[in-house]
Amino acid sequence: MRMLTRLSGPARQIFFAALALLMAFPFYWMVTSALKTNDEIWRSPPTLWPEVPLWGNFAAAWNEAPFARYMGNSIFVAVSIVILQTINSGMMAYALTHMKFRLKGVFAGVILFGYMVPATAVYLPGYLVLSELHLLNSYAGLILSNCVSIFSIFLIRQAFLQVSHELVEAGEVDGASHMRILWTVLVPVTRSSFAVLALITFIDQYNNYFWPMLITKDPSLQLVSAGLRSFFVEGGAYGLKWPLIMAASAFTIAPLLLVFLLAQKTIMQSVNMTAGSSKG
Amino acid sequence: MTRSKLISGLKPVLFTLPAMVPFVLFWLAPLLYVLYLSFTEWDFMSPEKTFVGLQNYIDLLSNPAFYQALRVTVLFCAGSVLPIILLGLGLALLMNHKTTPRSGALASRFTQVLRGGPTFNLKGSALYQVLLFSPWVTPTVAVSIVWSWIYEPDVGLANTVLGFFGLEPIGWLQDPKWALIGVLLVTIWKSVGWAMIFYLVALRNVPSDLLEAGELDGASPVQKFLRITLPLISPTTLFLFVVQLISALQAYDQINVLTQGGPSGSTRTLLYLYYQSAFESFQIGEASTVAVVLVFLCMLLSVFSFSISKRTTHYQ
Repeated sequence: MRMLTRLSGPARQIFFAALALLMAFPFYWMVTSALKTNDEIWRSPPTLWPEVPLWGNFAAAWNEAPFARYMGNSIFVAVSIVILQTINSGMMAYALTHMKFRLKGVFAGVILFGYMVPATAVYLPGYLVLSELHLLNSYAGLILSNCVSIFSIFLIRQAFLQVSHELVEAGEVDGASHMRILWTVLVPVTRSSFAVLALITFIDQYNNYFWPMLITKDPSLQLVSAGLRSFFVEGGAYGLKWPLIMAASAFTIAPLLLVFLLAQKTIMQSVNMTAGSSKG
Repeated sequence: MTRSKLISGLKPVLFTLPAMVPFVLFWLAPLLYVLYLSFTEWDFMSPEKTFVGLQNYIDLLSNPAFYQALRVTVLFCAGSVLPIILLGLGLALLMNHKTTPRSGALASRFTQVLRGGPTFNLKGSALYQVLLFSPWVTPTVAVSIVWSWIYEPDVGLANTVLGFFGLEPIGWLQDPKWALIGVLLVTIWKSVGWAMIFYLVALRNVPSDLLEAGELDGASPVQKFLRITLPLISPTTLFLFVVQLISALQAYDQINVLTQGGPSGSTRTLLYLYYQSAFESFQIGEASTVAVVLVFLCMLLSVFSFSISKRTTHYQ
C-alpha cells in the first residue's frame, strides 16, 4: 500500500502505459504475423513489422474456408438468442417481481438452483435430449438450447425490483394487460439493463464454442469459433500456414472489438449491474 | 372457481413458461438424466443401458486419472482465481488512487463536484481501462490460437523474449511442467482487466468521508485499506471469487485449443476428463459420474461461499 501511494503520477503513468501495451500486444502480434510471408514468420529473431506487409493474406484466409458462412451463422444465432432472452427474461422477471402466484417461491428456488449448476456438466445429457428431440445439427437446436439464461433473468429481475409496484398498479387500473404494462411501462424505464443483456448475451453467444461444436457436426452450421478451430487443425494449416491462421483469428476477433469500442460505456456499465444482480 | 378467476390465476404461470419450458428441457431434465446415467453402463451405441448401481463411483474413486484431474482442477482454480482477484484489486487501487491535494479535502471535494463525479488524477485512465478490458470480450478460441503461436517453441514471441533476457527456452505447451502455467497465463490475461473494472466501481463507491474520518483519527494508509476499504468492497470480492471459480471449473476452450488436456494429462481438468470420456471414448457411465462430481463440487462451493458471505461480508 505504502509503495502504491508513494508512486507518483508519472511513475504510474509509465506503469499503466507499459501494462496496457503488454496486454494489447497479443493483438498487435496477431495482426503483424498475419501480414508476413511464411518465410518471414519463421525467421528468428522475429521482425516487429513485416518487411512487405501482405494485406492479401486476409483475403486469402477468408477464401480458404467458408468464414462468411461461419460468421453469418454466429451473428444469426447470437441475435436470435438475444431476442428470445429479452422476451423470456422480461416475462419471467415480471412474474417474479410484479405478479402474485402460489408457485413463485418454487420457481425462484429452481432458478437459483440453476445458478449453481455448471452448464458444461450437463452437456452430455443435454446432447442426448437434443438428439431425442431431433434438434442436433440444426439452427433450432443451437438457438433453443441456449435461449434461457439465468444471468439474464437475474439481471432483469434486479432492474424490475427497483421499479415501484405502483406504476404497475396504475397500469392495471387503466385496464392495460400485463403484457402491455411489461413492454410499454417497465421495459422503457429499465432499458439500460436490457441493453446490457443484449450486449453481454451477444458477446457470449458469438464467442460460444464448446456446446455449439458438440451439437453441430455439419460444417455449414458451424459457428465462427468452431470454424476457426477446424481451419487451425485441418487441411495442413496446423503450423504450416501461420500467417493465414493469424489473419483468420484477426477477422474473427475484429467484429467483437468493434462492438466493444462502440458500446464500451454500456459494457463497462454492465459491471455495476452484474455486481448488483448477484446480491439479490 | 369461475372461469375468469382461473384465467387470471394462470396468467403468472403463462408468463414464466417461455423461460421455464426451455429451462426444464435443457437444464433440469438433463441434470436428473445425468444422475441416472451415472448409475448405468452404456457406450452410446447399444440399445440397452445396464444398471450397475454405485459401481461407476467405486471405479472412479480407484482411478488414478480421476485424482490427477482433481489435482489439476484444484491447481487450475487456485492458479487462475487468486491472481485474477489480486491483480485486479492491485491495478484498481493503483488506478483509483488520488494523491491528496495540498489545499485540503474541501477543495478536492469542490473540484470533484465541478468535474461532475469522481476524478482520477491518472491521465488516460479511460484508455487504459479499455485496453486492459478488451481481452475479455474476444473469443477464447481465437485468442488461444494467437497464444499458441506466441508459445511456439522455436521462434515464438515468448521464447524470443526469454532469450533476450538470456534465459533458456521453455516448452510452454509441450513440457508437462509448464503446460498448465501456459494455459493459466492465457486465462489470467483474459480476465484480469474485467476484475479490475469491478474493483474500480467498488472502490468508487467507498464513501470518501469514511476515509477522511479514518485519516483524522490518524490511520495509516495500510490501516485505512485493511479496516475501511477492504471490508466495504468484500461483496465484490465474493462475487468475483464465485464467478471466477465456477468459470475455472468449466474452462474448456483454451485447454482444447492449447493442449487438449496434455501433455501426459498435465492440463486435464475434471471437465476435460468428462468431455473425453463422454465424446472421445464413449463411456457414458464414467463420464456421467464425473459430471455428478462436478455439479456437486460447484454447489458445495456456492453454498460454502454464500454462507461465509452471510457472516463476513458487509453489504451497505
